[in-house]
Amino acid sequence: MTVQGPEITTPVPVPAGPAGPAAEITPAADPAARRGRVSRRTRRGRLDGKVPWRVALRRDWQLYSLAVLPLIFFAVFRYTPMLGNVIAFRKFRAGGNIFGEEWVGFRYVEMFLSDPTFWMVFRNTLVIGALTLLFCFPLPIVLALLLNELRSRVFKRFVQSVSYLPHFLSIVIIAGMLFQLLSLEGTVNQVVTALGGDAVPFLQQPEWFRAVYVSSEVWQTVGWGTILYLAALTTVDESLYEAARIDGANRWKQTWHITLPGIRPTMVTLLILNIGTFMAVGFEKVLLLYNPLTYPTADVISTYLYRVGLVSNNFSYAAAIGLFESIIGLTLILSANAISKRAVGASLW
Amino acid sequence: MVTTVETSAGPLPARTGSLLRETRGYKVFRAFNVVALLGVVAVTLYPFLMIIARSFSSDTAIRSGRVNIWPVGFNLTTYQLVMNDAMFWTNYKNTVVYTVVATAIALVLTTCYAYVISKHQLRGRSVLIGIAVFTMFFNGGLIPNYVLITSLGLKNSLWAIVLPNAISVFNLLVMKAFFENLPLELEEAAQIDGLGTYRILWKIVIPLSKAVIATMLLFYAVSFWNSWFAAFLYMDKSELFPVTVYLRNLIAGSSTAQSTGAAAADVAQVSANIQSVTMVLTVLPILCVYPFVQRYFVSGVMLGSVKG
Amino acid sequence: MSQRTRARGLAAAAALALALTACSGGSDGDEDGAALDNRTGAMEDYAAGDQFTATEPLTFSMLFSDHPNYPSQDDWLLWSEITERTNVTLDPTLVPMSDYEQKRSLLIGAGDAPSIIAKTYPGQEDAFVSSGAILAVSDYVDLMPNYQKKVADWGLEANIDQLRQADGKYYVLPGLHEAPWQDYTIAMRTDVLDELGLATPTSWDEFRTTLEAIKEARPGEYPFSDRFSETYPGGNLLNMAALGFGTSAGWGYNNATWDGDAEEFVATAAMPEYKEMVEYFHDLVADGLMDPESFTQDDDSAIQKFVTGKSVAIGTNAQTVVNEYEPGLATNDPDATVAKIPFPCGPVGCVLNPVTQTENGIMINADAADSPNFVAMMQFIDWLYYSDEGQEFTKWGVEGTTFDKAADGTRTLAADVDYVGLNPGAPKHLQKDFGFAGGNFAYGGATELLWSTFSDAEVAFQESIADYDMIDLAPPAPLDEAESEQLTLIDTTLRDAVSQGTIQFILGQRDLSEWDAFVADLESKGATQYVDVVNGARDRYVADNG
Repeated sequence: MTVQGPEITTPVPVPAGPAGPAAEITPAADPAARRGRVSRRTRRGRLDGKVPWRVALRRDWQLYSLAVLPLIFFAVFRYTPMLGNVIAFRKFRAGGNIFGEEWVGFRYVEMFLSDPTFWMVFRNTLVIGALTLLFCFPLPIVLALLLNELRSRVFKRFVQSVSYLPHFLSIVIIAGMLFQLLSLEGTVNQVVTALGGDAVPFLQQPEWFRAVYVSSEVWQTVGWGTILYLAALTTVDESLYEAARIDGANRWKQTWHITLPGIRPTMVTLLILNIGTFMAVGFEKVLLLYNPLTYPTADVISTYLYRVGLVSNNFSYAAAIGLFESIIGLTLILSANAISKRAVGASLW
Repeated sequence: MVTTVETSAGPLPARTGSLLRETRGYKVFRAFNVVALLGVVAVTLYPFLMIIARSFSSDTAIRSGRVNIWPVGFNLTTYQLVMNDAMFWTNYKNTVVYTVVATAIALVLTTCYAYVISKHQLRGRSVLIGIAVFTMFFNGGLIPNYVLITSLGLKNSLWAIVLPNAISVFNLLVMKAFFENLPLELEEAAQIDGLGTYRILWKIVIPLSKAVIATMLLFYAVSFWNSWFAAFLYMDKSELFPVTVYLRNLIAGSSTAQSTGAAAADVAQVSANIQSVTMVLTVLPILCVYPFVQRYFVSGVMLGSVKG
Repeated sequence: MSQRTRARGLAAAAALALALTACSGGSDGDEDGAALDNRTGAMEDYAAGDQFTATEPLTFSMLFSDHPNYPSQDDWLLWSEITERTNVTLDPTLVPMSDYEQKRSLLIGAGDAPSIIAKTYPGQEDAFVSSGAILAVSDYVDLMPNYQKKVADWGLEANIDQLRQADGKYYVLPGLHEAPWQDYTIAMRTDVLDELGLATPTSWDEFRTTLEAIKEARPGEYPFSDRFSETYPGGNLLNMAALGFGTSAGWGYNNATWDGDAEEFVATAAMPEYKEMVEYFHDLVADGLMDPESFTQDDDSAIQKFVTGKSVAIGTNAQTVVNEYEPGLATNDPDATVAKIPFPCGPVGCVLNPVTQTENGIMINADAADSPNFVAMMQFIDWLYYSDEGQEFTKWGVEGTTFDKAADGTRTLAADVDYVGLNPGAPKHLQKDFGFAGGNFAYGGATELLWSTFSDAEVAFQESIADYDMIDLAPPAPLDEAESEQLTLIDTTLRDAVSQGTIQFILGQRDLSEWDAFVADLESKGATQYVDVVNGARDRYVADNG
């Protein structure tokens, strides 16, 4: 019994390189805004930089009009179903009222807060998510920079196209490949024994699960992740490189002082977004790779719920945990954004 | 006026003279780079070659594990099995239609909204952003969404696939960041020239944003192409399914992983390479789309003066 | 505020209102099933053995699991023939087989399910009972004479009782088998056995000695490398062995097992029989007779080892022998032969589980009881699923078109129709082209019907186990809603701990001397509490229902 449809929200392109800069631009620095604000004094003589509504509507009605359809989308397809989350606090019976039968308050919340297994899977989710972020975030940047250094356009295109391929592999196939590679007689163990060690049953040992998961994640997402960075690289002003070359900077210095800062806003955007969503550890992949021997490190919230759900079909419990995860995610992204604003001056909004 | 020049942000030829020292070191690095990237290619290409090989190999060869990167017992049986099925083509056509429509709608909505929220002077901007970001984390779950779609009468229609996932907030925020990076002078100049918001968006901003729009097109297209869940939830007529549902079902028919007993007896014979064939058939079109999209990954750098 | 905001608000309110009205809530089915206003279309004197024909054309909606190998076609002879014989048209709601259960859950949960919900295994209806979304069919079996007859003739009352919920009623109409049906066992390389002069093992002990002999002859390899561990480590193997050892494990694992002698439920992992079974497999692994990866590898890896000759024994069912092992072996070693061994006997004896006599069946949407055609629908289901003609029809098809019947009752497929390789090369296929022998209808039935499509090898296997004894069925001990919720988490925690511990002990990752510590740990996780609740439920059931 899955908790919430894995694809209700469009699957994000996993820690893909962010694109786009800015947001360092504070309102005051924006010339247009400055112009607008300074030149318009309202009847009440406001100086707080905020334009009164009537004025704003008259000035920007076109912009607002562009936002209408998307807002309707959000309202109908996102916010209306959200009301269904109330079943986290009301008892839901399959086939009964979709808003639940009766109030039960925090019963389900207490249920999972006092369940020791829940804390174990919560911890696993955090660890695996953090490790994934740690490795899958910087590597696409590195690869994008390396690709950027290629002279031959043909070769560059070729490598790019090939590097995207793993993204398209279905999880089932990847799991199958991993089983083959990591079995006692698989390639990895062949190398180990050739070097004089003992064969390790990787998939049976909890200590190895994280390494297996993260490295396969890296393999699968690195190439795809470069897309946004490569797009961002196109926005870096060519003339800056010229100027730097004239000043005597070598390629490495150019990279450090021009390229990286040029795509920094993209990196920041993606970092914040990925921090916000890092709790969403891949359900299907863990499900295919884990087994009871590796539960201590492999079991994550979504797989645990899946097992619990199979037994009891308890939508309310699932909704309660889902809300818990959502609140954590939201908190994470708000904090990341705030920290980023203070530390680096860049933020998502 | 604005002139756009196509360049890529790559290294320009090095000068001679005082830069000789770096050139040698840089040469070494470049050689190393090529080798490293070739390694990346090998590691990523190998599994694909294996899968392609398997898709053309015979059942028994696969089960014996004798297939590496070259087909053993070359045959087209599974391909024929799948491609001779009229339903496969119907579903494939569905996928194409759904993907095109969904991507178009998604692009329009996302671009509009991203442009709006990229304008810092807009009153209520943070609210608009907040509305979007909140939905990244909170959603209603399976049943409320199902009830909504059903009560809107969208069940068994194209719109059930296209509408519910029309905007990805992730993509939205990325696009917004790109828009914010565009030089404001251009828009200001256009405003002075008397263009309204719509014309500015259409004639100035979008042409400059080819790279990010192309990227978003790719992201959305791939995601819609691969999606099966919405169709699975909201459709119950097999002629409306996208090909992903068809193929997923085919794989299920060959695996006993679902079964815990009597159900396994219901699994009839399906080829061993069904997963490989499925994958090849699904991935191929995407790989064809990418080169097409790639030529838009170009710089929007302007030459020539804009002001005055 | 602004018009936009108001418009948004209105749109949201409208959508919400629509959502609320659409979900009219699961109304409780009408309890008194014999009101006259639901007999429209029903036959007046419908009895066992009669051909059901509705008195007027009717249509019933049905949830249909679409198998990818024989996807539903509108022009199937199955549909048209059903309409012709019974005057009923079935309107199938197709769901891909790959995710059937999830969609079914969703549809029932959202209140949008068809009247007839096929392919439901006993036990899967538990979740829907408390909501009232599913009909308590036990109240209406008086409308189903064929069903009642088969239950009586085949002695399945105890099986049916197992399905009862806390209110004494049951909510699923199971498929019925005349005799317990065992499909899974071990498959071995019979040519290797012959070569080494070994007899086919018939018990777990003999299996072990056979493996020892094989290991001596082929010291470098594990003789036995198993599969079916993808959903549960050793799921199939432990499930099979548990029967002979007198406990429950693997796929069939239950935290509480019925102890017939003590007449109560006991904690499974604490049973000495469970430990005995674990020790048996531990010894197999420790002595190099069984591949330790059996419990974690995917099926493909196990199959590969078998067909390339690395291993000579593997878990199997009838399908895998024919579809996977024989073709795989044929290319690698033309002289290789493989066959099922008789289902192994254990310390408890040669036993089968009668729970297999009730299987895949159907649920009825509670709303259907309000329909004027309700009685007709029950009669229809009774004929289609439980009458001899109906069962033969859904399995074999139409006499003269898809099969022929000899005077002694033997059925043969028509020459141009194939099914499970009985007529290889035939242009048409029973399932694909006609829609018969499909998973939504053709389950169970009389033994001779069940065996009618088996190959000779399979019939031989079934005959070898025909005289086995049957273990006792656990009596009903249905939990009420509160207990069900209470035990949910304990159940999962215990299951996880047991499956984990079992494998660790078998593989030697944990020493057997720690077994008592393991059992004590299960106690702390709630093992006794679980069993107490189940026993309490049993006592309550007995008190309420006699």
